[in-house]
Amino acid sequence: MRSSLRLLNLEAPTLQGSKTLYVCSVCRQETRPRPALARQFLRNSSTTPITERVRRKIWGTDSPPGLEDPYGGQSVLEKKFKKDQPEQRPQRTQEPDDGWRNIDEASAGVETAPSGEYEPATTWEGLARVGHLGRWTDFPASEVDEYTSFKSKKRLTKPNHHALAAHQAAVEICLMQSLNKPLASVCDVVEHQEPIFDLLWKCRIKPADGQWNGALVYPDEKAEQVLAYVFEQIGSQAQTESAAEDAAEADEAEPETVDPEAPRSLFFNKAHVRDKGYLRLSLADPATKFAFLKRFSQLTGHYFPDPVINSISSVREAIQYVGGELSLKSLKLDAKPQKLGPQLTASKTLQDLPNVKVFEKRQKRVDRDEELGRKKVIEAALRERGLIQ
Amino acid sequence: MPVQGIRTVTAARNGVGAFILQCKRLDFHYCDWAGSSRGMVSFLKNSLASFAKANPQIEIRVSPRPHKHPVIKGHYINGREKAVCVRNLEPEQIVQKANLLKEASGEKNKRTKKPVTSINDSVRGIWSPFHGDTKTV
Repeated sequence: MRSSLRLLNLEAPTLQGSKTLYVCSVCRQETRPRPALARQFLRNSSTTPITERVRRKIWGTDSPPGLEDPYGGQSVLEKKFKKDQPEQRPQRTQEPDDGWRNIDEASAGVETAPSGEYEPATTWEGLARVGHLGRWTDFPASEVDEYTSFKSKKRLTKPNHHALAAHQAAVEICLMQSLNKPLASVCDVVEHQEPIFDLLWKCRIKPADGQWNGALVYPDEKAEQVLAYVFEQIGSQAQTESAAEDAAEADEAEPETVDPEAPRSLFFNKAHVRDKGYLRLSLADPATKFAFLKRFSQLTGHYFPDPVINSISSVREAIQYVGGELSLKSLKLDAKPQKLGPQLTASKTLQDLPNVKVFEKRQKRVDRDEELGRKKVIEAALRERGLIQ
Repeated sequence: MPVQGIRTVTAARNGVGAFILQCKRLDFHYCDWAGSSRGMVSFLKNSLASFAKANPQIEIRVSPRPHKHPVIKGHYINGREKAVCVRNLEPEQIVQKANLLKEASGEKNKRTKKPVTSINDSVRGIWSPFHGDTKTV
């Protein structure tokens, strides 16, 4: 209520009630019967729209003839929006996204609000979510988001394990070479099953001049067939289909990745490699080197820096690096970069040019003084004043 | 006694008769460690010899300036210096900057407001065919 209005009727009730219980001015205003002017203002708060009230006033009756809304009811856009709404609703609810579904449920809840009395919420439960934009950061991680390391989590440290890993990688790459398959695809199968690993372990490598071609010696003919069948399935899928006729063998020999949760024994408790011919294999060919080091790195969990990969030339050196016998220092890869000054000074073309002067050190003010021939004069003056010895 | 005007004597203009390059020295500074000198180091290794050969009248000095951005500094015969920072620039861009310093006069940059610059300004302005009486041929 307006303060001026309140002041009009303030005096009389105060005097009347002075003898009885004291009531504060606010409470007195609440209980006091309202004047006609106040009722006029209150009329605005009724649910009847102003257009309807104007119409009633014009016609002088509470039920005037004609349209309720003199401006033609809903606009074209409002009508269209209402018509489209029932069609859009089922489409949105079909979306699989949890975040969007929540938003839809919330918005649906707003529109289909019950006509009952309003009850203020005491907890957040059942309330519409506000401020959720449905971004990927708000959703829980899916299968795609999970990260699995390429290398084994545990780095092998024992020399016999390094030897077993190098032998396995060498045999696998020999097999892929003999089958004319992409070499680096041996990494698709992280770990073989025990019978396959046994066959790989029994294979020997006898390279002629470090060559990979024809270096592999199988234990027997059956092993050769089984390994050829198994490795035929690794890599491209086109050749797999042709080999898939032999269903009986497929059950036994199909390569499968081992469940990482299960407790595993390293190299199926094999202690040593049967022969050492694989150490003589050459890594001169870049494709073979890449495939071997990739597989070796995957099996041992060791990382090979680029300069090391560049300098390694045989399987023996790779094992030596993993075993710590070779280092960046011994490979002379830790040298500091050469400075430009000496390079330019040594350059024959720049030496021949009479207008070029190269300094290897930073030129300071002293150098400038010396060049201009005033260094001696400055020093003499300073010495005379006792500023330098 | 009639008033005599002061007789004009020919003033020396650079390029009329002889041209003297105003830039007398170019200093190239680089840093061995910083990445912003990568282009400068490449320029000094590969392009400096040809640049120096093409400009024998300019003295060229190369010296390191550790832990600083690469800079080309031009010294002019009027005693002024001009320095250009060439951090993170490619060798080709550095050649452009070196040429800019080489061709500069050494004077401070001046704003040219008039369409014609002359030592002997015209009182009548620039002739235009669209002003004055219509001429018929």
